[in-house]
Amino acid sequence: MRLYLRWGRNPGWDPTLRETTGHLVSRHVLSESNTEHRHAALRPENERAMTILARLELWKEQGAISTEQQAHLASLSRGEPVSLSLELNLLLYAGVLAFVAGLGWTISTWSQQLGDVLILAILSIILAASFWYCFSRATAWSAAETAAPTAIFDYVLYLGSLVWCVELAYLENRFHVLSGQWDLYLLATALLFFFLAYRFDNRFVLSLALSSLAGWFGITISRWPSHQDAEYRQYALLYGLLVGVAGVILQRLKLKPHFFGTYLNIATNVLFWAILSGVFEHEGNGLWLVFLLIACGSSLTWGLKRRAFAFVAYAAVYGYLGVSSLLIRNSSDFSFILTYFVFTAIAMIVGLVLIARHFGRTE
Amino acid sequence: MRIYTESNEETLRARKLLKQWTGDGSLSKEQYQRLEQDTVTDLRITNIFLRLVLFFFTLIGVAAAGALFYTIFLSRPSDQTTGILLLIFAAVSYMAAEVAVAQARLYRYGIEEALAVCSVAFLCGGVALFFFSGSPQSSREIQFVVPAVGAIASLWIWYRFNLWYAFPAAMIFAIFLPGYWTTSPSAQHVFLSVLYAAGLICIVLIRSRHHFDTLEDAYSLSEAFLWLGIYLILNLKISVLSLPSQLWSNTRPSSEFAVPFYWTTWVLIWCLPPLILARGVRQKDRLILAVGAITAVLTLATNKPYLGWQRHTWDPMLLGIALTGVAWFLRRWLALGPGGVRHGFTAAPLSGKDKHAMSVGSAVLGLITPPAITPTPQPTNPDSRFGGGSGGGGASGDF
Repeated sequence: MRLYLRWGRNPGWDPTLRETTGHLVSRHVLSESNTEHRHAALRPENERAMTILARLELWKEQGAISTEQQAHLASLSRGEPVSLSLELNLLLYAGVLAFVAGLGWTISTWSQQLGDVLILAILSIILAASFWYCFSRATAWSAAETAAPTAIFDYVLYLGSLVWCVELAYLENRFHVLSGQWDLYLLATALLFFFLAYRFDNRFVLSLALSSLAGWFGITISRWPSHQDAEYRQYALLYGLLVGVAGVILQRLKLKPHFFGTYLNIATNVLFWAILSGVFEHEGNGLWLVFLLIACGSSLTWGLKRRAFAFVAYAAVYGYLGVSSLLIRNSSDFSFILTYFVFTAIAMIVGLVLIARHFGRTE
Repeated sequence: MRIYTESNEETLRARKLLKQWTGDGSLSKEQYQRLEQDTVTDLRITNIFLRLVLFFFTLIGVAAAGALFYTIFLSRPSDQTTGILLLIFAAVSYMAAEVAVAQARLYRYGIEEALAVCSVAFLCGGVALFFFSGSPQSSREIQFVVPAVGAIASLWIWYRFNLWYAFPAAMIFAIFLPGYWTTSPSAQHVFLSVLYAAGLICIVLIRSRHHFDTLEDAYSLSEAFLWLGIYLILNLKISVLSLPSQLWSNTRPSSEFAVPFYWTTWVLIWCLPPLILARGVRQKDRLILAVGAITAVLTLATNKPYLGWQRHTWDPMLLGIALTGVAWFLRRWLALGPGGVRHGFTAAPLSGKDKHAMSVGSAVLGLITPPAITPTPQPTNPDSRFGGGSGGGGASGDF
């Protein structure tokens, strides 16, 4: 007997299930169990692999789950219905990106023929239409996580944000409005994107804002007369700390606390990169090593405490790279270097396995 | 033949689904705690981050151990001696992977995966050095034997350990094979597409025996890779895939294909996407549907070069409008169906896993876009009117 049935044949759908489960599934979900699986469910596990459908049947018979739950979960296991949400979102993202790429390419190629007025008019119309759509469709602002009011909302906002960048770049390149103060564009863009991200609860735009802010830091330094690596490093540290502290404060204030992960991951990576670049210096790297050890300790503690294992991974990899570079940089003995890698890799594996055993969850 | 029993894999799958359903709210915490007891397994599993880091450190350790042994115990060894050593390393790595699973009961733990991967790398290196060093005609044999050994070993690792990435690795090894028999680019493309098609038929036949179990997921992924491989081999405008075998044999990459072959591939790249999409819809397989969508986009993007037509700057805009339009239409069409479902598909997110993937994906995609769209400083030369670095929306170049 086939393990699945066609849509529309099942009379056993409970319309209240959607409320009880909080998820959309078709009312055509099947609850018709099948004999094959019932038999399979009753066999000892080592005799034959028990599929999830057989387990659900068994759990229903044992009273561990209700009939409605069994029907609902069995339909999910069979992929009935199949959700194309992720794929459609990716298609929308690719579509917006391709459109803006083509727009930028067209403008850069045909700017002389099209003329400033036409180009700025087109860009302004797209920008205004995008933002009008977002502001007119948006629900009332909430500090908590809010769902997008329409399926294409996030992508219209993304389109508007990207077109803003195109228009700004065109204006500056064409009219030199803020000549010599280019970084102010990035700062203004970052501020606008932060506002949009918090107003419309959009992670895409939040990431754009954080990138623009990083760009502002970078360009500010590049205009300094003697921009050395050390200055870049200091500003990268400042940026990382600023982003991290801002993330913590905003989370404490419960302003879109679900954005905290984005802030923390960006801040951690920037800080580690900045510190590592200091450790890789040939002179005066002792202090940076101390910073690295502090950063690794903090990242490891945070990761274990919050069960956020990305931070354990950051601590392990960045810490290993930094300490290894210090220990083997002056060695010309190839055997020593290889021995170092063998023993330290084994030590790291043992340490991580112990962590995985005590703390490691599967997700 | 598989190192993990079907029972173990099903238990782990059930455990994962229980966690997912509890997160989605389909099961209560109490139910989860009760049902979790039924999915106890002796296999050791870990999360993706520790798995990646363990994989990384195991690779470092094994590679360093191999090099250390070579450095300490052998001084100026011949190629054959090195080859034997590499073959021994391959055997040791493979045995260690087996022991890690059999004794330590590791499952997707990073360690056993890295050991298995190292065994394939050592094996290929060992075969090349041991069997073909010093032979004047060795280059040609190496071109066949090493990729063949790599492909077979990768397939074995895929089958034995159920590691999904070993399958595309085997496909990549196979790309080097046809150069042994022929230098004709057309024949190489035909050979590879026939090889992949044969693999596809095998996978489809095997997959038909599995319904709603762990192995069906594994075969689904392999089938998706094979469809994508066939398409990429047949699309002559995505020429990079035809290069490896030509580079190996020191022949210049040729863009000359027989006219009938060229136009046959053009017809095929238009026929394949609908075929793949139809298969995905019929099987309700998201991976195959995704491959169908990717191949459709690639066909649209490469059609003009195929026909020798001029590309326009607004082509990406049209593509973007088409993609957005299709996504919007599909979403609306599905949403307007009874219960938001049509033909077993819905546009609504059913799983928290998808929502999580979207949140992480949007943050990452938002971060990688700015290098293309963020305005860069204008040039210092005031005479260059439109000489300003990158424009917006991926437009690098001058306004």
